[in-house]
Amino acid sequence: MGMRVTNEQADMAAEDAVKKLSDRFGSADVKATVEHHANAHKMAFVRAHVPAQHWTAVAKFLRFDAAVNYCSMVTGTHFPEGGADRGWEVVYHLMRQPVTDQAPNTNTVHVAESLRGDDIPLEFEVILTLPQTETPTVPSVQGIWVGADWNEKETWDLVGIRFEGHENMHRVLNPHDSPEGFHPLQKQHKIRYHDFNEMYDDAQGFGRKPTDEGRVK
Amino acid sequence: MAGQQENYAAFNSRALVEMVGDVTDEALKATKIKQFLSVLAGRYFNWAGRKSLFTLHLGIKCCAIEMAAAATPRFDGDRFGVLFRSSPRQSDVLLVNGPITKKFADKVVRLWEQMPEPKYCIAMGECAISGGPYFQSYNILEGVDTVIPVDVYIPGCPPRPEALIDGFGLLREKIIRIGAAPSSGRKGDKPVIVGED
Amino acid sequence: MTHGLWTLRVKVDGETVVDTEAELGYIHRGVEKIAESRDFTQITPYCDRLCYVSAMTWANSYIYAAEDLLEVEVPERAEYIRLIAAECQRLASHLMWLGAYGPDIGSLTLMTWCMRDREMFLDLLQELGGSRMHYNYPRVGGVKRDIPVGFADRLVAKVKLFEHRIDEYEMLLDESTIWLVRLQGVGYAKAEDMVNAGVSGPNIRAAGVNYDVRWAHPYSVYDQVDWEPAVEKPTSVKGADCYDRYRVRMEEMRQSCRMILDAIEKIPGGKNTNYANGDEMILAKAPTRAPEGATGFSHYECTRGASQFYIQGGGDGRGKNPYRLSIRSPMFITIPYVAKTMIGYKVADIPAIMGSFDPCIGETDR
Repeated sequence: MGMRVTNEQADMAAEDAVKKLSDRFGSADVKATVEHHANAHKMAFVRAHVPAQHWTAVAKFLRFDAAVNYCSMVTGTHFPEGGADRGWEVVYHLMRQPVTDQAPNTNTVHVAESLRGDDIPLEFEVILTLPQTETPTVPSVQGIWVGADWNEKETWDLVGIRFEGHENMHRVLNPHDSPEGFHPLQKQHKIRYHDFNEMYDDAQGFGRKPTDEGRVK
Repeated sequence: MAGQQENYAAFNSRALVEMVGDVTDEALKATKIKQFLSVLAGRYFNWAGRKSLFTLHLGIKCCAIEMAAAATPRFDGDRFGVLFRSSPRQSDVLLVNGPITKKFADKVVRLWEQMPEPKYCIAMGECAISGGPYFQSYNILEGVDTVIPVDVYIPGCPPRPEALIDGFGLLREKIIRIGAAPSSGRKGDKPVIVGED
Repeated sequence: MTHGLWTLRVKVDGETVVDTEAELGYIHRGVEKIAESRDFTQITPYCDRLCYVSAMTWANSYIYAAEDLLEVEVPERAEYIRLIAAECQRLASHLMWLGAYGPDIGSLTLMTWCMRDREMFLDLLQELGGSRMHYNYPRVGGVKRDIPVGFADRLVAKVKLFEHRIDEYEMLLDESTIWLVRLQGVGYAKAEDMVNAGVSGPNIRAAGVNYDVRWAHPYSVYDQVDWEPAVEKPTSVKGADCYDRYRVRMEEMRQSCRMILDAIEKIPGGKNTNYANGDEMILAKAPTRAPEGATGFSHYECTRGASQFYIQGGGDGRGKNPYRLSIRSPMFITIPYVAKTMIGYKVADIPAIMGSFDPCIGETDR
């Protein structure tokens, strides 16, 4: 029968992590809470709101003291109408995974229900909120998790959030000769034919000429 | 100086070829053999070319998996002479099977220009025909026919391997019809679309 | 053609690779931007086309995130159907990987055999979803249509036949000197390096670590079917080599067969009943709008690693569209890591190492 991490284990691990974070960083305005997914098995995870200036310290704590060894995803969002305090948001999804190097010809056999302490897999969601600004900046965690490297490159490329201290920042998805300051996921850029009424007037597009006809980019 | 250049024109090989071509062209038109030769060329001299269309081994996105499936035992394009070549210099057909991004556009054009005449292009799948589901994207060209001339369109997302093989069949019929016309002169042709009867 | 469209710049000293740099973005379609103008149901076909070799798992991954956002409970029969479909897709995807890896190493026979067997599973998935490759099958709250009558018999017959075919592949490959020489001792990668770099899935399990999202962050009925994660012992202290990664995927195929055979017996409602579209056994009523401030994310074991979707609600249409859809592709992180793994090996080892990590550029470039 397939094994699984139980809800109790996840709750225990999440509360533990929240307690550690709050004890250490509660005075620095870091709010950590235990949340539950709304679907499937309703597993617990940790959500933390961290002010951008304390992010490096929190990241080091998570990596070295809370055994968070996996940086999964970095998401940047632009809120032009979010109010003065919420102009940009950078959300880091991190994981704790019980992974250790193996000696040759051995492998770990986890029995999920018997994992304890820092071995319990746990998901972390860290939210950094930045005020309205033309140059959103967040300290880079490239040196702490190698997996954050290309994630940060992609976030800068698509959303325009600068990562302070990131070495060798370059465009990864957009062409290298994209105009300076072109970050397509910002809200002022609209997709082509964004006004759907155009489509209904001429649903097959017979009257529409491609905008790139005859031009090689 | 101009007079001297004209005298030397006959010894410059490119100019010599053009001169001979012009002279024979006039002669053939006068005797109506040119028409007869075009029909022959269209039907018979292309026989080997159209029976063995070497396709460039280019896979862009999902339709490439259907292209691979068309080469495998169940659908088997090889029995129709469709063989995949790794170099554009050795291929007849450029099968565009995915959306063309701004980063890739000049590379597709370069591949097309590296292919020797006679060459044909098949746009496979919605993304190559018109941008497909990504027609609104900031990074996708609205169809590969904005940058290179396309001979056959195969709609579908992705088209079944049988549709791809049908596309090659329609391309074969088109080759009979157009004969030895160079690819740059084919822009005004009525497009051949698989499934349009 | 078969692994995807990207560039690897390699600096060589004679035959030895000295430095590498990966260049991606040749099929960047801007799906994250397009999704901001689409309904939650309209985004499912886009997610199919992210990793096109493994479409069902990516559609499922997105649907779990949408269900987290919209707070929907999925009926159990639908979860079983999703599990069967995802595991069939995993088999088809691993077969595509093997069918592409064979020619990389030099075995064209493997391509013809694997594609032939993959057609069996594509036919099964076509019965469910309607198309060979992009099914648009899961819906928020369940699945679009129930398993057809007779599907269970065909499924069991094909899976049982396939289990013998896996033995045939191993017979072909484990006695082939070329295969063994080109795969063993090449492309070492250690578990802790991999996890720090964000690599996941079969690539990590090849290094002897038993970590699988299906039991660590459980999401479907995987705890009710009979299976074990496929783990391979690494051959050396330097980590897992290409041969270990090949073996782990063969073992995964066996485990997927085992899961499918168990799940089709245990499916609630019986394996020969067919409920109408929209019946509450296979589709739960789900809200279509997500309020501003709501978020949801999913963590899913796709065939190439752990994929994640993060959706923020409150977009256009008073919440009908997402405000931000963020996609985490395992291969986007793995490819730069693998590019560094190749340093020190010969140029001829590059396709062996690259292919063994199973890249799929569709999901990488989004």
